Amino acid sequence: MDELVDQIRRGDRRSLARAMTLVDGVGPDVTELKDRLRQSTGDVPWWGFTGPPGVGKSTLIDALVTLLRRSAHRTGIIAIDPTSPVSGGALLGDRVRMMRHAVDRDVFIRSLATRGREGGLSDAAVHCARLLELASYDPVLIETVGVGQNEVDVASVADVCVVVLGPGYGDDIQLIKAGLLEVADVVVVNKCDLPEAGRLLKEVHSAFAGIVGVAEASRLPDPHTPDSAGSDAEGDESVSASVRRVEVLGVEAKSGRGVEELLDTLMEADRVAREPARRQSLHDRRVLGEIRRSAMKRFEESLDRVLSNPTYRAHVDRLLHGECSLDMMAGRFAADAATELYRESPDAGDVPGEDSA
Amino acid sequence: MDGSRTKRILIGKVGLDGHDRGAKFIVRALRNAGYEVIYSGIRRTPEQIVRTAVDEDVDVIGLSLLSGAHNELLARVAELLREEDAGNIVLFAGGTIPDRDIPHLESLGFKWVFTPGAPLSKILSALDEELKEGV
Ligand SMILES: Nc1nc2c(ncn2[C@@H]2O[C@H](COP(=O)(O)OP(=O)(O)O)[C@@H](O)[C@H]2O)c(=O)[nH]1
Ligand SMILES: [Mg+2]
Repeated sequence: MDELVDQIRRGDRRSLARAMTLVDGVGPDVTELKDRLRQSTGDVPWWGFTGPPGVGKSTLIDALVTLLRRSAHRTGIIAIDPTSPVSGGALLGDRVRMMRHAVDRDVFIRSLATRGREGGLSDAAVHCARLLELASYDPVLIETVGVGQNEVDVASVADVCVVVLGPGYGDDIQLIKAGLLEVADVVVVNKCDLPEAGRLLKEVHSAFAGIVGVAEASRLPDPHTPDSAGSDAEGDESVSASVRRVEVLGVEAKSGRGVEELLDTLMEADRVAREPARRQSLHDRRVLGEIRRSAMKRFEESLDRVLSNPTYRAHVDRLLHGECSLDMMAGRFAADAATELYRESPDAGDVPGEDSA
Repeated sequence: MDGSRTKRILIGKVGLDGHDRGAKFIVRALRNAGYEVIYSGIRRTPEQIVRTAVDEDVDVIGLSLLSGAHNELLARVAELLREEDAGNIVLFAGGTIPDRDIPHLESLGFKWVFTPGAPLSKILSALDEELKEGV
């Protein structure tokens, strides 16, 4: 594995591609590799692009990459498309929009399918993005399909979050506004060459421009940003460091109009995301998100096992006969599920606590 | 490695013809058969195809051609794949390829050559067979 990591660091493309296949699957080496990747990365901001299918995310990324290459940025792209729940197959249709970069040695594009993993963002995407970082791609762009709720998913790993809308795609501002506010640094209205785009852009402007996003505050605790200590003393004009403005931009991804302005905005957001305190809190948030997803998965599996145990029939009866409340019963099952987990791997109990040292 | 991993296939179109209804039909059929499919779009160079296949670490490349230059273009893809040390990727071709050229293409490493009218089921079962034992 050390050799694999070294080869990726040295820029061996085939090793990078193979490692991505590894982290996109399951296998004995994979956990170790993933842990190793997590330890070796975290300095490069990831830019997330989300929005309804067909809105032009891939075309927009293609245009951005063209500009990024002009300023010699080695750019990595992870593009995620949904797996068909019926067949288990997937049409990975993002790369076809980016083919002009296919033979550029300083661009690496990888397509992934969600493979039934929750939300638009697959766990594999996080590790593939880390692999790109390890291979010195900077910035790393991630495309996911999202409408409303799913956007929260990309936000938990992206450091700069772009929500893309377009006429006919995501017009329903009110519906998605709540979800957008949670996550967006930039809202892009694409396809501004189309006449219907004007109305949408106006609507998005009035919905978002000037609104100060409260996203950071509602995310995971953020002990490293200065605002938790110092901002109280400032006047009522003070906007804490973690509270951001949502930028709204209209573009034509296909012709490239407006894309330069978008890149400027993204570069500025990228710069902010690199400030050491901010960097650390963003990275902490990403890793905490990973821990949370993994812990939730284990807990749910354990809970399912507990709930399928026939001896719990009696408890169900007690609930149905009014001998206890649902809250009590649920608490009991939750505790049992946790106990089961502890029994399976008692060592795990020692990990988080410093007191056991 | 994990034999149950979802297999990935690149469907590519090399050459100058701009008709891709056939290629898109195959793309959808493969998706519906449970593969993860990447489509290159039309008029790609062998270099673009091979770069894409390597970066995406696909198991199979299927090339579709309706123009005449198949021997040259397909040979170039096979050659580049060997150069990239990616000879393990299964290659097949489909399109208006005269029967007399098929043995030559097979000798270049094309596992199957499907001519127009080849039933979809034949393509799917060939892939299925190959990828099942191929890991
Ligand atoms: N009119 C117009 N069409 C666009 C623009 N950008 C992208 N498209 C088209 O929108 C369709 C979907 O684009 P794609 O990038 O695949 O969207 P995605 O699904 O969000 O990644 C394609 O047919 C693009 O050519 C634009 O600025 N104007
Ligand atoms: Mg796309």
